[in-house]
Amino acid sequence: MAATRRLQKELNDIRQSGLKSFRDIQVDESNILTWQGLIVPDNAPYNKGAFRIEINYPAEYPFKPPKISFKTKIYHPNIDEKGQVCLPIISAENWKPATKTDQVIQALVALVNDPEPEHPLRAELAEEFLKDRKKFSKNAEEFTKKHSEKRPSD
Amino acid sequence: MSVDSDMEYSDNDGDEYGDYYGEQDDCEMETVDQSKTDPEYFLFSCLRVEEVEKLLNESIELLSNSLQITPSLAKVILHAYDWNAQEIIDKYKENPNEVLIHSRVKPRVPSLSANISCSTCAVCATANSTQKYSALTCGHYFCNECWAMHFEVQIMQGVSNTIQCMAQECEVIAPEDFVLSHVAKPTLRDRYQQFMFKDHLKSHPQLRFCPGPNCQWIFRAWVREGARRVECQGCELLTCFSCGAPHHAPTDCITIRLWLTKCADDSETANYISAHTKAREALKKYLHYYERWENHARSLKLEEQTLASLKSRINQKAQLEAEIENLSWKVERAETTDRGDLENQMDIAEKRRTILLKDFLDINTNCASSSKM
Repeated sequence: MAATRRLQKELNDIRQSGLKSFRDIQVDESNILTWQGLIVPDNAPYNKGAFRIEINYPAEYPFKPPKISFKTKIYHPNIDEKGQVCLPIISAENWKPATKTDQVIQALVALVNDPEPEHPLRAELAEEFLKDRKKFSKNAEEFTKKHSEKRPSD
Repeated sequence: MSVDSDMEYSDNDGDEYGDYYGEQDDCEMETVDQSKTDPEYFLFSCLRVEEVEKLLNESIELLSNSLQITPSLAKVILHAYDWNAQEIIDKYKENPNEVLIHSRVKPRVPSLSANISCSTCAVCATANSTQKYSALTCGHYFCNECWAMHFEVQIMQGVSNTIQCMAQECEVIAPEDFVLSHVAKPTLRDRYQQFMFKDHLKSHPQLRFCPGPNCQWIFRAWVREGARRVECQGCELLTCFSCGAPHHAPTDCITIRLWLTKCADDSETANYISAHTKAREALKKYLHYYERWENHARSLKLEEQTLASLKSRINQKAQLEAEIENLSWKVERAETTDRGDLENQMDIAEKRRTILLKDFLDINTNCASSSKM
């Protein structure tokens, strides 16, 4: 199957490259179509924690895009309460079969670090982000302390 | 082509004026000078699919001949320039590169990282020396199996004219001949060409499918813009050529769309109901209090009547009592011994007493019933 071969290669490449912002990648040997990993953002107010995500690849991968969801709760205008995230690079219209998972992860990390309030999934957070940045940062930091996972020590 | 038809139209127009002035016939005027009497009047025709295909092919042929390019490329370029062949030819003479880049036939930036060695396909991650590779003008080579799979997925999603290269951030469009050379399944090829035709119609400002259900007729407008009424030859539906909504003169397309959206979301109905239910609530409240007021007013009147009747009875009784007293006094002090006269008077007094007692009883029952009200 094309998906398996491609995913095996991507997984090896990502593990070898040692991405700082995406760690602890766990893949069930029996099902390479589902990955889990830790997003480790650099920017405040998310730089106090790490966030677990799940990547689900369709059987038609790489001709159809993967889906990403957050398993850790996060206070972010572009990520909703269910952990759904709106990422243009993996939308059906924009998806390119040659796009690699590490490019997707980089786009995701960039979005987490710098929210895009122009295309929010949670309008109330986007409004707070735009109108009262101090309050937003305070809330997001508290939320991160309460819900996020521990950042890898190295 | 469109220039020719405009000429034709104005020629006819001239003839019509000639007829009008020549015959001086009022009846003639109505049928002839439609463009003056009907502000919505404009020239259009209803075409069948084959006629439209022929029409599109004429544009494609014209462009591919004058620019010396394949019909497939001509289609991509026409699609990008709203089928204005003359504009394309003029711009191509000025700067052919700009036209090719704008239509996404060529990449804006020549790709340096193009995989010319063709050792591995970046999509399926396979190094296979027996596999054949191909690329668009951007030079992003992928194996033919991956191209075939890419086109299949895209076609199944309804994409036809805008299928792009598989490389990340490459916007170069795969022309028809490239796509078809990688797609073998006849059903998929048919589907692709059907979508392609529909896409061409959508990008062509002078063509539009009749919006009638299952209607296969196509309108062709002879001018390039304006909200105009068209009547389908097949299903006789009256629609607006510009927006495809039911005919909406004299409103313009944007206003009617806003209006229809407003109607569809039912917000006005909600406003109406809230406004009128408020009035109804007020009315109900008023009726409730009016009824209570009416009841009190009626009771007051009834009480007055009862009081009046009671007073009259009391007067009667006083009169009766006075008479009886008078009579009994007469009897007591009777000087005459006229027995008959005396008995008579006693009888009268007795009867008056009976009446009085009976009346008291009546009044008691009356009072009881009136107090109940």
